Amino acid sequence: MKAIVSNIQRFCLHDGPGIRTTVFFKGCNLRCPWCSNPENIDFNIQEYEEDGELLHYGYEISLEELEKEILKDKLYYEENGGVTFSGGDGLIQFKKIEPLLKNLKKDNINICVETSLVVSEELVDIAIKYVDTFLVDLKILNQNDANKINTDVSLYKQNVKKLFDNHCNVIFRIPLVPEYTYTDSNIEEILKFLQEYKPKLVQVFKLHRLGEKKYKTLNKKMPEFKNITDEEINSFMNKIKELKINVEYCKI
Amino acid sequence: MNHIKRIIKKILGKKILFYYNQIKRVSINVYSHENKVISIFKSIKNIRVYNSKNKIVSLSKLFENIKINKITNKNDNFYYDIDFFKMMNTPNSVIGNLCLDYSKILNNSLEDVKKHLNNKNIEFYNTEFETINIIEKYIDKIVKLNSKNITVCTNLSNIKNNKASSFQEALQRILFFNMLLWQTNHRLNGLGRLDKILIEYYNNDIESGVLTEEMVKNLLKEFLLLLHKDYKFKSNSLLGDTGQIIELGGIDKTGKYLCNDLTYMFIELMEELKLPDPKVLVRVSKNMPRKLMEKSLECIQTGIGCPLFANDDVIIDKLINFGYDKEDAYNYGTSACWEPYIIGKSSAQNNIKSLNFMFPLNELLEKENLNKITNFEILLKTYNNYLERYVNNLISDLKKITFEQDPFLSLFIDDCIKNGKDISLGGAKYNDFGLTGVALSNVVNSLVNIKDFVFDKNKMTLIEFNEIRKNDFEKNEAFLKKLKNNGPKYGEDDDFIINLSNNIINFASSIFENKKNILGGKYKFGLSSPNYITDSKTSPASFDGRKNGEPFNVHISTDVSNGYTGLINFAGKLDYNANRFNGNVVDFFVTPNFINDNFDKFVDFLMASIKVGFFEMQMNVVSSAKLIEARKNPEKFPNLVVRVWGFSAYFNDLPDDYKDYLIERALKNESHS
Ligand code: SF4
Repeated sequence: MKAIVSNIQRFCLHDGPGIRTTVFFKGCNLRCPWCSNPENIDFNIQEYEEDGELLHYGYEISLEELEKEILKDKLYYEENGGVTFSGGDGLIQFKKIEPLLKNLKKDNINICVETSLVVSEELVDIAIKYVDTFLVDLKILNQNDANKINTDVSLYKQNVKKLFDNHCNVIFRIPLVPEYTYTDSNIEEILKFLQEYKPKLVQVFKLHRLGEKKYKTLNKKMPEFKNITDEEINSFMNKIKELKINVEYCKI
Repeated sequence: MNHIKRIIKKILGKKILFYYNQIKRVSINVYSHENKVISIFKSIKNIRVYNSKNKIVSLSKLFENIKINKITNKNDNFYYDIDFFKMMNTPNSVIGNLCLDYSKILNNSLEDVKKHLNNKNIEFYNTEFETINIIEKYIDKIVKLNSKNITVCTNLSNIKNNKASSFQEALQRILFFNMLLWQTNHRLNGLGRLDKILIEYYNNDIESGVLTEEMVKNLLKEFLLLLHKDYKFKSNSLLGDTGQIIELGGIDKTGKYLCNDLTYMFIELMEELKLPDPKVLVRVSKNMPRKLMEKSLECIQTGIGCPLFANDDVIIDKLINFGYDKEDAYNYGTSACWEPYIIGKSSAQNNIKSLNFMFPLNELLEKENLNKITNFEILLKTYNNYLERYVNNLISDLKKITFEQDPFLSLFIDDCIKNGKDISLGGAKYNDFGLTGVALSNVVNSLVNIKDFVFDKNKMTLIEFNEIRKNDFEKNEAFLKKLKNNGPKYGEDDDFIINLSNNIINFASSIFENKKNILGGKYKFGLSSPNYITDSKTSPASFDGRKNGEPFNVHISTDVSNGYTGLINFAGKLDYNANRFNGNVVDFFVTPNFINDNFDKFVDFLMASIKVGFFEMQMNVVSSAKLIEARKNPEKFPNLVVRVWGFSAYFNDLPDDYKDYLIERALKNESHS
C-alpha cells in the first residue's frame, strides 16, 4: 500500500503539542481561495516546471517507509510530541494508511491530524480510533456562503458532533479572511458554534502569502485579500474569551 | 596569513617565525590605535628576548626583568599583569593548548611541590627546584611593590607556603598561574572546571559571612574581565582564539550530575558581559537539571555563541575505552576549543595538525588512471589507499617536531615529577597527539555524486565528470546546482550516508592505530577543525559542487533542510569509538526569533538531543540581516559576537572571508524555515 505525500517536514513546532513530524498528504475536498498549500489540493501527483526543469508535486511512499521516516525523530517526541497528518486534508488518506496508524499507536506515538473535516463518515470513524488531537478547521458555517469554498456544512457539523460525542480532543482553527470567514454573520455563527461545543482551545490565524510561488508553478494566481487589522483580531479573540474558551493567536 | 607564515618559516627558520608572531601580537595588543608600521616599529624597539642555551638562565633572566606594576586602584582585588615586552626565546614548539589541574594548585603550595621533587634524575630535579625558586622570587617582588594592598599580598605570598583558603585567594592563585603561563610563551591556556573547583571556597565564605553572593559575583566579574583584557595578545591566528575555556557541570562516576550556584553564576555573567572570551563549555548529560539547560539556552540566545555543549553520556566512555583511567576520564576538560583533554595530566597536543579528508581525493584524481575506476567499490578502495598514504605522511611529519624543554609545565602536569622527566620528553601521564579532521563532509558528498551520476545513472564517465570539475564547473551552472542539491548528503540521517561516513573514519582510525608518536603516546582525531577556510584556499573544485577555493563545510553540519533533528540523529550515529573522539562538534545556525517563539520546545529538543547522542554542539543565534548590516557598517556593531571554529569572536575582528561564510550559512539556514 502506498500513500501520496508532497512533503514530510521534521522538527515542526507549530502543528500540535511538542516536537512533531508533519506529513503532508495530497488531496482535499475543499477549494479555499486562500489555501497556502495549493499543491496539495489535487489527489494526484502533478508535474510542474521550475527553471526549465521538470519537477513533481507529490510522490508515492510505502507505509513502511513512511513509518520509518516518522520514527526517525521518536526520541524527540517525548510524551506529547509525535506525528501530524496534514495536507491538503490530513484525513483524506486515512483508509489507506490504517495499518500505519495501528503501528504508530503500538509504538506510543502521539497522532494529530489537521483536517477540514469535510470527509466521509468512514474516515472519521477510523480517525477516532487512533487520533489523539484533531486540529479542525472552522471556516464558513452558512451553506450559501460555504459554496464558495466547496464545503458541505451539514457533513462538517455531523462530523464535528461525532468527534465530541466520542470525547475526542478537538482544537478549532479559524483562518481570518475578511471576505470569507471574517464577516459579521459568519462571526456570529462561529461564536454560536463554539458556545455549543466549548472546545478546550481555539487558534486563530491570518492568512499568509508564502504559497504564492507555488500558485504560479501551477499556472494559478493567488487572489488578493483585504488585510485584517490587529484590532479586529483582538476584538474577535476577546469575544471568544468571553465564552470562557481558551484562544490563541498563531504566528506562522 | 598562513602562507606568509609558511614562507617565513621556510626561508628564515623557526626563530624568525617566533619573532614575527610575538611582534605581531604585541603590536596588535598594545599599539592597535597606532598606524600599522609605527606599531610594528615600536614593538620591535621595546621587545626584549631572553635567550640562553640553559632554560633556567633564560627563565630567571626573564623574571628578573619583567616589569612589575603597582596596583593603582585600591579597589582592585587581584594582581594580574602580563609584561608583553619580555619573553624567552622558544623557537621549538611550546607545549600548550592544555589546562593545569587548578584544584591541585589550590590545595598545594610551591613548598609542597618541592617536597615531591626527588633524586631520580638529578639534573631534572635541580631544574625544577630552580624553577620554583624563580617563581617565589617573582612573587616576593610583586609583594614588595604592592605591600599596601594587604589582601592581594597575602594571597600571593600564600602561593609559596600555604594552600588557598578563601574564594578570593583561590581566584588570585588561578590568575597568577594563568599569568605565568602566558608570560612563558604558553598559548591556549584553559581554565578548567571552575564551578567544581571553587565551590568549596564559595560555600565556606558564604557560610562564614565573609562574602555575600553579590560580592562573589563582583569578584568573578573582575576575574573574567582580567582574563579578557589582553585577548588580542592571547589570540592565535584569529582574534578571539585564546583557548581560555571554562568547563561547567558534568557527571561523576555514579552518573550523578554535578552543578552548583557557581555554574549558574558563570553562565549569568557570560550573558551579562557578552564577551567572546573567556568562553564557557557546559558538560551536559541526560541527568542534568532542565533548569541548567534553560539557563544555557538563555545565554546562547544572546547570540554570543556559548556555551558549547559537550555530552558526557557519549564522551566519557570513549575516553575510558581509549585507555584513560576512569577517574581521569570523568574529570575531563577540553583543549582550547573542544578536544577532550585530561586535565593536568596530559601533554596532549590536541590540535597538532589537520587531517584533511579532501587532500587524498585530490591526489587520487591527479594521479590515478580514472578509466580503471569502474564502480563505487573500486572508487572507495582507491580512495582508502590514498588516505592511508596521506595519513602515513602526516605521521612521519609529526616525527620531526621538537618540543621546547619546559620546566614550568613539568612542575604541574602529572606525572613529570614522578617520572623525573620533562614534559617535552614525554614525562606526562598521557602523551597522545590529536588531529582535527576537516572536509569529510565534502568528500562524502563528492563520493555520493560520483556514485549517482557516473555509476548509477550512467550520465557521464568519471573522466568526463572530472573534466567538468577541473574546469571549475565553468559554463555548467545548472549542473553545479544539481550537484549541490543532490542528496542524500552528509549530515542527514540516511543509512547509506551514515555507513559511508563511518567506513571512512573507521579506516582512518585503523591507520593511526598502534602507531606511537615521538612522546610515546598514541594518535587520535575528530571531525571538527578550524581549517575549513585556510585549507580550502588551495584545494581545487570538488564533486560536491564546491568551486575552486570555496570553504569546506564546517564541522558536523549540513545545508539540507531536514531540520535540526536529522543532523543530530546523524551525529548520534557516527562512530566516535577507538581514537575518533578528538572533538566532534555539531554546528548550526538558528534565528533569534525561532528560539524566542519556541523556547520551551527548543529546550525539549536539546534535552532529547543529549539522549540521541551528539558528541558536542554549538550554535550561532543571529539573523543574516544583522550580519549583513554589520559587514557594511562595522562601526555600528562593535559588540557583535559570533561563533567561529570553537570559540566566540567579535564579528568585526574576523577576516572578511570568515564574515562572508557566516553570512552565507545564516542565509542558507533561513531559506529553510
Ligand atoms: S481545506 Fe485546507 S487544504 Fe483544503 S483547500 Fe482549504 S485551505 Fe487548502
